Amino acid sequence: MNTFSTSAQLLLANDESRKGAWDLFVEVGLPTTSDEVWRYAPLRDFSLDRFANFEPLTERAISTHGAELLAGPSVLIVNGAVKSTNLPNGVSIESSQAPATLDRSPVLERYASDSFALLNLALAPQTITITVAPGTRVSEPIALVHETTAGVNFARTHIVVGDNSYASFVEYFDGAPDALVVPLSEYQVGEQATLELFTCQRLASTAWHIARSTGYLEKSAKLQQSIIGLGAHYNRSRNDAHLLGTAASNELRTTFLGSGSQVQDFRTRQYHVAARTESRLLSKGAVAGDSRCVYTGLIEIEKGAKRTDARQTNHNLLLSSTAHADSVPNLDIRENDVMCAHASTVGPLDELQRWYLESRGVRPRDAQRLMIEGFFTEMLVGAPTEIISGVREDVTRVLTEEKVVL
Amino acid sequence: MSELVITDLRAEVAGKEVLKGISLTMKSGEVHAIMGPNGSGKSTLAHVLSAHPGYKVLGGSATLDGVDLLALDASERARAGLMLAMQQPVEVPGVRPIDLLIAAGASGDAVESMRAEAQRVGLRGELLERFVNVDLSGGEKKRAEMVQLAVLKPKFAILDEIDSGLDVDALHAVGERLSAATREWNCGLLAITHFRRLLDVLTPNVVHVMSAGKIVASGGAELAEILERDGYEPFKA
Repeated sequence: MNTFSTSAQLLLANDESRKGAWDLFVEVGLPTTSDEVWRYAPLRDFSLDRFANFEPLTERAISTHGAELLAGPSVLIVNGAVKSTNLPNGVSIESSQAPATLDRSPVLERYASDSFALLNLALAPQTITITVAPGTRVSEPIALVHETTAGVNFARTHIVVGDNSYASFVEYFDGAPDALVVPLSEYQVGEQATLELFTCQRLASTAWHIARSTGYLEKSAKLQQSIIGLGAHYNRSRNDAHLLGTAASNELRTTFLGSGSQVQDFRTRQYHVAARTESRLLSKGAVAGDSRCVYTGLIEIEKGAKRTDARQTNHNLLLSSTAHADSVPNLDIRENDVMCAHASTVGPLDELQRWYLESRGVRPRDAQRLMIEGFFTEMLVGAPTEIISGVREDVTRVLTEEKVVL
Repeated sequence: MSELVITDLRAEVAGKEVLKGISLTMKSGEVHAIMGPNGSGKSTLAHVLSAHPGYKVLGGSATLDGVDLLALDASERARAGLMLAMQQPVEVPGVRPIDLLIAAGASGDAVESMRAEAQRVGLRGELLERFVNVDLSGGEKKRAEMVQLAVLKPKFAILDEIDSGLDVDALHAVGERLSAATREWNCGLLAITHFRRLLDVLTPNVVHVMSAGKIVASGGAELAEILERDGYEPFKA
């Protein structure tokens, strides 16, 4: 049985382009919980050697909702490598092996202190770049269906939306028992362009999911991002937006449901560089059983980003007395002429709403179910039906398996 | 024929006794109006009967066809046949009206009857697609309450100032629907109101006057006219 390190060295033996990232990872090492940003991660249970199998184990069947999504415009990505594509006119795909970033800085500098991003840069089989040509309007959402058949899945995806274009993407992660899934994504949204993105993670409860994404927004660009986290033992999802062009706007909605001993760890950084940029963050989640969640959001406003309007809202629902939620909003403002706001709530289901439903004859258990489903439904307006039914299945499962105390 | 019997009902909210012994009996198809000044305990009565959290029953009883309502939770009371239509219906984001009705035990084709009832009270069909009471005007919320009531068909409905804030058209639509309910399925109505104008559409069999947590007078429809002329002062407990 290989160790993670020997598997990595075998893979990188003849590949100088990726070796630099591996060497930097070895230098940086894994994070520990004494690192503030990793404080809530169950790193004591973590060992890379558990994920040392880089070779596909089986030809696992594609998940139900994955298969449904593949019926339309889509890309099937297995263990981070493109397997099949079905893309509309104006959308192209290419892949290259070398680590890459859409940022202006060199890639290893860009991710120098992020151990898992470095692992991705070293071990992802490809940088997958999907380009929407300028002036293209893509009418149907394009699904990126990720499947995992090995012990690790390092997917690296770049989506580039040209000026004056509109496109909608659905990223879907399912299955992957006992696997380490580390997606590293970047999105570039051109002038006057709009990118709509639904990322849904429904991995097995034994998987580890450590994802990071960054949007780079040009003048009057719009990035509307919805992140849905349901699976994995540890689900970490960091989503940043760099608002580089005047009047760029970012709407980010994160939704999660924790159960068992899951940890749901959401991090965001909205980096306002240009004037009249706007960010809207809404994070809503529910934690049941012994699960816990943390939301850490940073709004950072550069000098010169005048008339920035940045808002963060975070609502957490506690469904058991042993579940736990933390909310840590942060502001770092270097400009005076800005508008910033944040609000957060943590608590059980609303007592009055519950009573209202019950006063119509809805039984207490059904009232809970309707309200918890409703909590998510509200966040899924506009999402593809495959995603909505996946979320409903998970809510129903959690309510059946977990004792929900109110 | 069903019967709602309230006997010497006493209740407190936040440690203060607000209902000080209410007794009344009503039968299927009857309309009873409860009038009284602000703070006399009218809405408390509605909330206590429908198990609103935050109210504590101190004594007395309330039965529907002999079933002890006070021993039941809110859901069971509704299923026993008692439903509250509210002055300020609660917004329930994320929950669609049809899902509420089905979970509440609506029989038959709930979608069809919901649509038909909405049309009957002049609630635009597209509003049925919004989440329960979310982004509805005051008038639309009350029409939506009428839709729920008409689909669920309770034996008795308590109307807690259902007429407040309604324009003439809405008042008429709501009043007509309630009036028809007394004939269609013999629904008994306990209408809490400040104004006689609802009672012009919905003729009461009995008018009760409440003051300081008690019923201080009961009479026919003419009592509402006296109240409108003389005010509550002569009836103060």
